[in-house]
Amino acid sequence: MDGIGQGAKVAFTLPIFGGIEITETIVIGWAIIVAVLLICLFLTKGLAKIPTKKRQIVAEMFVGFVNNMVESTMGKKWKHYAPYIATLLVYAIFGALVSLLGLRSMTADFNVPLTWALMTFILITYYKIRSGGVLGYFKGFTSPVFVMLPLNLLSEVATPLSMAFRMFGNISGGAVITALVYGALAAVSRLAHLAFQFSGLEFNALQLFIPAVLSIYFDLFSGCIQAYIFATLTMVYVSSAAEQEQ
Amino acid sequence: MVLAKVTEFLTIDPTTIILTLCNTLILFLVLKHFLFDKVNKVIDDRKNEIAESYKNADEAQRKAENLAAEYDEKIGMAKEEGAEIVRAATVKAQNRSDEIIADARAEAKSIVDNANDEIEREKKIAVNQIKDEITELAISAASAVAEKEIGKEDNERLIESFINSVGEQ
Repeated sequence: MDGIGQGAKVAFTLPIFGGIEITETIVIGWAIIVAVLLICLFLTKGLAKIPTKKRQIVAEMFVGFVNNMVESTMGKKWKHYAPYIATLLVYAIFGALVSLLGLRSMTADFNVPLTWALMTFILITYYKIRSGGVLGYFKGFTSPVFVMLPLNLLSEVATPLSMAFRMFGNISGGAVITALVYGALAAVSRLAHLAFQFSGLEFNALQLFIPAVLSIYFDLFSGCIQAYIFATLTMVYVSSAAEQEQ
Repeated sequence: MVLAKVTEFLTIDPTTIILTLCNTLILFLVLKHFLFDKVNKVIDDRKNEIAESYKNADEAQRKAENLAAEYDEKIGMAKEEGAEIVRAATVKAQNRSDEIIADARAEAKSIVDNANDEIEREKKIAVNQIKDEITELAISAASAVAEKEIGKEDNERLIESFINSVGEQ
């Protein structure tokens, strides 16, 4: 099957700096930005103090959900983090759900979760240095005893890496399994003489409903839960980094 | 699609990382500017308005309670005042009626007294007249009997004393 064990396709190459290859991951990212922008514009059209439109209630529910999540996990003074957490949530969920449209999941490209994990790592480091100073930051690696230094360094690096790999593994694993199931179902269809050919296109009867059931888990559930986990971990790590040694 | 170059399944591509970073920041700005700022503003406005209207309602209720208490007090005072006025009026009326009755009594008494005096006087006058008439009568009768004048003065005195002695009986 096409796509199993393959990374993102190169969509086009920018003819500057000797050719910058833009993968489909980036193109899907742009499409999501445009879609989210349109949704936002639609939802916030005609906001009123007393809501009269359903779309305002949807917008307020989403904003309230994220605000509550940030406030309950990080505390009241971190409310300005809500848009960033919402960005992670929305981008990760949409990025995973584009697979329902037959596209390659954005988060199945390791570079995407890695980017977000690096952003979280930068935030963690920034808040650790801000709360403890540069000296306190480096001293923190030798606590409680100096011998712990390698372990502390390892766990510091492991935090973003595990976040990136967790999301990447789940989404891309789901994509691989879905592709494998499609392949297997095509083979079984052919064996059971349920495969039909229409001018070069193959139609396999067994591919009709069975993948949909699996898709509920691998695309919908897994995509949403990984986005939620990533956002929650970011909140927990960042707020605990800021509240250290105060 | 066949011609499209495909990247490795697990690869680190700085271009993708940088562009994803930019995309994430752009999406962040989109969500912040077009969703969170707007919706938060509306929610905050509504919260403020609700708080404001609650405050106003509390104030109005407090005012109303104050007014009610004030009015109660005023009504109580008015009632008391009314009762006082009625009592004063009653007392005044009582006094006045007493006065009037006393006046009336006094007047009636004086009228009665006057009448009595009048009666007494009339009686005296009448008695005197009768006395005079009797005297005349007696004189004429006596003169007719005696055919002779004793002398007017003597006669009169005589008769007078006679009548007096009669009247005193």
